Amino acid sequence: MSQIQERGSTHVYKVNKISKEEMESMVERCVYEHPPFCSAACPLKLDVRAFLDAAAAGNFKKALQQYEKIAPFPLILAAGCDAPCERKCRLGEIGDSVAIRAVEEAVARYGEVTRIGGVFRTRKKKTAAIFGSGLFALFLAGEIEKKAYPLTVFCEQPDLEGFLRCETDFLDDNAFRAELKRLRGKEIEFVFDCRITRELIEEKRGAFDVLCCAEAVHAALYPEAPCAPELMYCADAGLVTGPTEGVLGAAFGAKKAALTVDRLAQKLDPSNTRGTEGAVESQLYTDLSEAKRLARVPLNGGYSKEAAIEEAGRCIQCRCEECLKSCAFLEHYKKHPGLLSKEIYNNTQIIMGDHQLNKPMNSCSLCGQCTVVCPNGFDMAQVCHRARQNMVSTDKMPLAPHEFALLDMLFSNNEAFLARPQPGYERCKYVFFPGCQAAAIAPETVRAAYEDLCARLDGGVALMLGCCGAICDWAGRYEMEAQTREFIDRELARLGDPIVIAGCPTCKKELSTHEGISIKGIWDVLLELGLPEGAHGLDRPAALHDSCGARGDEETQTAIRELAARLGCELIDTPYSGDRSPCCGYGGLAAYANREVASEMTEKCLERSDAPYISYCMACRDRFARKGRESRHLLELCYGTDAGAPPDISEKRRNRLMLKKELLLDLWHEETAEMKLDFELHYTDEARRMMDERMILTDDVIAVLRDFRETGEAILDGEDGMLVARKRVGNATFWVKFTKESEDSFTVHRAYSHRMNVVKREG
Amino acid sequence: MAAEKNYYTIDPQGKLMCVKCGVPLEKGKAKFMYLDNGFPVELPVCPRCGFVYVPEELALGKVASVERALEDK
Ligand code: SF4
Ligand code: SF4
Ligand code: SF4
Ligand SMILES: [Zn+2]
Repeated sequence: MSQIQERGSTHVYKVNKISKEEMESMVERCVYEHPPFCSAACPLKLDVRAFLDAAAAGNFKKALQQYEKIAPFPLILAAGCDAPCERKCRLGEIGDSVAIRAVEEAVARYGEVTRIGGVFRTRKKKTAAIFGSGLFALFLAGEIEKKAYPLTVFCEQPDLEGFLRCETDFLDDNAFRAELKRLRGKEIEFVFDCRITRELIEEKRGAFDVLCCAEAVHAALYPEAPCAPELMYCADAGLVTGPTEGVLGAAFGAKKAALTVDRLAQKLDPSNTRGTEGAVESQLYTDLSEAKRLARVPLNGGYSKEAAIEEAGRCIQCRCEECLKSCAFLEHYKKHPGLLSKEIYNNTQIIMGDHQLNKPMNSCSLCGQCTVVCPNGFDMAQVCHRARQNMVSTDKMPLAPHEFALLDMLFSNNEAFLARPQPGYERCKYVFFPGCQAAAIAPETVRAAYEDLCARLDGGVALMLGCCGAICDWAGRYEMEAQTREFIDRELARLGDPIVIAGCPTCKKELSTHEGISIKGIWDVLLELGLPEGAHGLDRPAALHDSCGARGDEETQTAIRELAARLGCELIDTPYSGDRSPCCGYGGLAAYANREVASEMTEKCLERSDAPYISYCMACRDRFARKGRESRHLLELCYGTDAGAPPDISEKRRNRLMLKKELLLDLWHEETAEMKLDFELHYTDEARRMMDERMILTDDVIAVLRDFRETGEAILDGEDGMLVARKRVGNATFWVKFTKESEDSFTVHRAYSHRMNVVKREG
Repeated sequence: MAAEKNYYTIDPQGKLMCVKCGVPLEKGKAKFMYLDNGFPVELPVCPRCGFVYVPEELALGKVASVERALEDK
């Protein structure tokens, strides 16, 4: 029996197969975290989605909290902003953009103000002063106060009302009164009736840590000193100030200026770590196809609360979720690929400690659907595949999740392997390669297909029963893959390097990476030869499921449809077909590493239609049938065979062995020596179910009972009177609970296993 | 000597028999080993031949979860 070496746990050497730069360039492709176009266009960076979402839910308090983050005087900004966000709103491309500004105004008007701190607020030690008035001075005062610096404003006006009135004549009375109240509530000292002169400013220089002034003040008093508008700072005069235009310009200028104040107060260079300021470019992708309400709620001078809620509800909450919508794996982990890839990459770099991302990394079916549905072609399969290889190369990859599949592959390429030229030939023009799953699930169909090809093709058709190597490739076991590749190439050479006729799209894909192989699908051959006798489609409309192995293989997809049409199948159109098809859950060994996710993948496939499913990959056929769906492989329809109910894991092995044995006998007249059991073994239904679920083979059970018969070692459980024996096979210990019907006959009731080794301890 | 830490203890309470030796299993010292790690436990052990019994609940419960944790180290 084949065995795979378990990894050691103390190896710490690293052979990175993936560089940080490579990973970063992959991660960058995902635009999930890009801002929506509206927010990107807002120099103040309002989180428009969150704002409109709260407003649409009627939660004006929460909406106002969002808006106050960018606007210390919300009514002023909302009334005067020229709303570049609206010009970029994606809805504007197919209808009216969302009236964001008008919703802001309504929110500012009806929203409940949240008080921050009051007397309990701790204020900073450093102090600031502003000279002058106007929008910029007003907004800057608001920003500085928000940052909790004690602030004094020197202005020419006689009172607060006069100060607020300056440059705000566009406000109506109600708004003015509301903002006056807001201004009164702020902790700002005012010195009214000032004559603002250079002398005054210089005189106060010693009393404050940072001095700021309105642009007009700067222009009049320090005409010789230039200022840097990106910092809103005049270094020569030592003043935070600068030119601004319009209401939004003043607000943005104040925001930049407040950051400069902050840096100066900490005695830092004002250009220090400012991040990106202002409007940015975004590449966010948005699916506009489902946008429904395209017309704006009429404004009539301003929105009522209800109208604002309605208008805010028109926002489609632009987000790129193309891949999350289509892939059950991403949906399961609720993380977009950009983030998940970063975490998976970090997982590969851990030397000591928990590799928490092992399971997610091994749950991707490597199917490539995301790359097709993602507007930027994000290749999650590559990320997960490379990460697996990296875990293998650093000896950090656990064997447990993939061992069963890898052993199954070794089984396909050893005990169950067969490579023979057609009887009567030494070298053949063709070789039929049905794939390991076809032989495991539908052996009769494989036989019928092979006999048909032999009968109708000239030049001889060899047969190769085995695994193409996709299994070890998926597991990231690149050394095993190289060995398998060599092995298959050698066997093909022995047969005379024939043209490979693949029965499975994944085999076709895998084998076509071999150098010098020419390969086609059996579907191509059947189109050329015509359908075999007795071929007929289903009598009801059916959904065609495209195999992930055929993604990007337009010829195969077209040939399959042509074949289905000739069979007389009526195919139903389903979403996500062709290149966009999801994986059935078998790909990438997802089903071995994460049964739950794989099951969700299967369900996602089946959710597209209630009709019977026709597929052209045996693994898809099997997984759909296991979910209780009527499921047929195209070759079953071609050959009038029915593989029936899905086999369990042991039957899958036996099917492969029996197929080999029968073909050897019937076509090549060779007897296979049979390993007869010298005792009888029965299984209860529960034992069978348990074994399939726990991945325990009848071979494992047989090994335990053989051992028991040799050594007599077992436990008698007094509670139920049953015997329990065990045997270590490979990297696991198998336990079987059974009853002895006679000396040579046993009934298996339960079976379980563990990987840890248990021994008696002395002392 | 201070009591040694055991990660798990099962007392067979006379309900389990070693078929080969014909004697009841007793609570005895055993050790689980996996990926270079060892855990002392107390399990039903045959006092004669040393057969260590791992009941199903233990194999599928505690043992399985420790396996998972070690595999991801
Ligand atoms: S489809 Fe997915 S991977 Fe592509 S950009 Fe959108 S969220 Fe990112
Ligand atoms: S629909 Fe909403 S999220 Fe999208 S751009 Fe317009 S306002 Fe922004
Ligand atoms: S399962 Fe397929 S679609 Fe989902 S992330 Fe993996 S490769 Fe992409
Ligand atoms: Zn004993």
